[in-house]
Amino acid sequence: MISLPHTPFIIVIILYFISSVWSIGSIVKPHAFNRKVVKWSMMMGFFIHSGFLVFLGFESSNIPITNVYESFISLLWCILFVYINLDYLYRLPSLDTFLIPVVTALSLWALTFDGGNLLITVHLQNFWLIAHIIPIFVGYAAFTISFSLSIMYLTQQRQLKHKLFGPLFNKLPSLEGIDKLMWKTISFGFPLLTLGLVFGTFWVKTQNILGEMWYLDYKVILGLATWLIYAALLHMRLVASFHGTKIACLTIAGFCLVLFTFIGTFFMGSKHAFQNVNEQSHTKILHIQ
Amino acid sequence: MSILVVGLNHKSAPVEVREKLAFNANNIPTALSCFLQKYQKAEAVILSTCNRVEIYVSSLDGAIQAEDVLSFLADFHKVELPVFSPYMYHNKDGRAVNHLFFVTTSLDSMVLGESQILSQVKEAYTIASLQESTGKVLNQLFQQALNVAKIVHTKTSIGKRKVSISSVAVEFAEKIFQDFTGKIVLVVGAGEMCELLIKHLYEEGARTFVVANRTFERAQELAHTYHGQAIKYELLGEYLAKADIIISSTSAPHYVIHTQQIKEAIKHRRGNPIFLIDIAVPRDIEPDIAKIDNVYLYNIDDLQSVVSQNIDERTREIEKCRSIIEEEVEHFMAKLEEIKIEPAITLLRNHFHAIGREELNRLKPKLKNMQDGEWEQVVYTIERTINKLLHHPAKVAKQEAKNGGGYRYVETIKKLFGIFHHTDHPQH
Repeated sequence: MISLPHTPFIIVIILYFISSVWSIGSIVKPHAFNRKVVKWSMMMGFFIHSGFLVFLGFESSNIPITNVYESFISLLWCILFVYINLDYLYRLPSLDTFLIPVVTALSLWALTFDGGNLLITVHLQNFWLIAHIIPIFVGYAAFTISFSLSIMYLTQQRQLKHKLFGPLFNKLPSLEGIDKLMWKTISFGFPLLTLGLVFGTFWVKTQNILGEMWYLDYKVILGLATWLIYAALLHMRLVASFHGTKIACLTIAGFCLVLFTFIGTFFMGSKHAFQNVNEQSHTKILHIQ
Repeated sequence: MSILVVGLNHKSAPVEVREKLAFNANNIPTALSCFLQKYQKAEAVILSTCNRVEIYVSSLDGAIQAEDVLSFLADFHKVELPVFSPYMYHNKDGRAVNHLFFVTTSLDSMVLGESQILSQVKEAYTIASLQESTGKVLNQLFQQALNVAKIVHTKTSIGKRKVSISSVAVEFAEKIFQDFTGKIVLVVGAGEMCELLIKHLYEEGARTFVVANRTFERAQELAHTYHGQAIKYELLGEYLAKADIIISSTSAPHYVIHTQQIKEAIKHRRGNPIFLIDIAVPRDIEPDIAKIDNVYLYNIDDLQSVVSQNIDERTREIEKCRSIIEEEVEHFMAKLEEIKIEPAITLLRNHFHAIGREELNRLKPKLKNMQDGEWEQVVYTIERTINKLLHHPAKVAKQEAKNGGGYRYVETIKKLFGIFHHTDHPQH
């Protein structure tokens, strides 16, 4: 059951859902679905989302990543924060139709982690943690946007290839335009991911938070795989100057790996600085100053 | 005051007749001043495009008839009346207004939804107003017509979709490439269709054209027009990998561009898309090319089917346009009635004030002892009384005018108060 303190997040999800429906509707039936609703409900959702994070932070007197649920909400906040800024800078047409439903779906998924059975085991007021988490979260956010852009690219590519000229065809920008944006978001996210991983490694090496065999942690392995896939993408684009469908498909694969690294590893038993609540009584929480 | 339109268009007359009556930008001012010399209290606008010649006239109580305009046209162009009169149409008042709104919104055009006519109407009106041949009525009418066209274009999708092969092809190219600067356009063949496409692409910013044609001279000629480069037909293969857009329209009976060539080209281009437009029949580009990743091939049928769909879409919007126009015609006719009644009301006011002044002049010598300030009060009171007396009848007459019956009211009042002079001439 969803506990009462999480009601704001439910409202956020409802607002994102409305925004998603309207963003799709505004393409199919522009007269019936006003574009303003898309923006306003998203912004309102984001506003409450931000407020909720502040509330969570105050409640635990820490940055809101004390359990998987909070981390997920923080990541979603980062995605929207990066999107809103990018949209302001580059005026990304119709991207909301591809991004907000993804955010809504992820928000619903995040809700299933409520219950906080995985608690963080490290001291949160730690420089290394911040240095590790924030760049990675912003990087992931950029990759989520590049994922939405790839879906957009493949949709437009399919429409052009199969000569399907529906309302979506007219609304979407050119393939080249989407390709450039995809590239911009990846090249923005990659250095951040690298930075986050470097800090993480430094942290784990110096302060021994994942034990001696830290490199066998699923999250560490998959984090490296994510880094490699984006490095490959960058290499293909920069050195071999690859464009088009292949890049779009690889971006999608990259995002799947991001999701899997972020959430999937918990199902595989990786705790990666989180710990089951019921184990708590037996284990002393690690405090690292 | 009535409005009349006399004219002919592509539906009513063949080009041989239309060209006889066509005006150009140079002789329209002359024609307008000739017309105004003949009919001094009239207003006139001449609209002359390649598809139509129309004269819009406004005159006092329909003083100018269609026959007058016809004989003016015959005199001005020195053409016998029977040569063109069977092809002419004419409309009066509401129908004339309706006609102009139809024309301006392109519902009467050869290509439904085209926007060129709007600028042509604007130009015709500008010339006429510079020539001072428009007055209160035609000024209102043409400004309203331009406004209606804007309303129709924003509220309906009559002009939204492209309806020519070349513009549709360019629209697709715009969905592949963000802009055309720096893009290489390879043109195979140098026919009319190719030229149209090049022209459209040039207008949208494409600057690098490479033309290959069997006849090298023709390629050179076309390349020269658009500052491009002509290449020998045999070198075509070398340029395939460099080109972003390939247009082919040769009369060759076989394929000119083959799958293998494009497969190699795309390998060199590392996924950078190629857009191929095959407007030749029989086709120039092997259809299997469409299956290659990042290659987009469109042939004449693909483009034509989009054009037909878009035309259908525009046709579906006609009813919506019609109802907007109908509403706007009604608005305009109500406004026109108000315009018509204004001079009559002024006349009525002047008449009352004249009586007032006359009586004041008669009174003044009798009130010699009155101080200036007091006398001013008397004058003010009389004027105020007259204005108050007339306020209600004028308001009712204006309101009634909107329903078309106001003129009758004013006539009655004029009769009752003995005002017989007509002064409602157009104000330039």
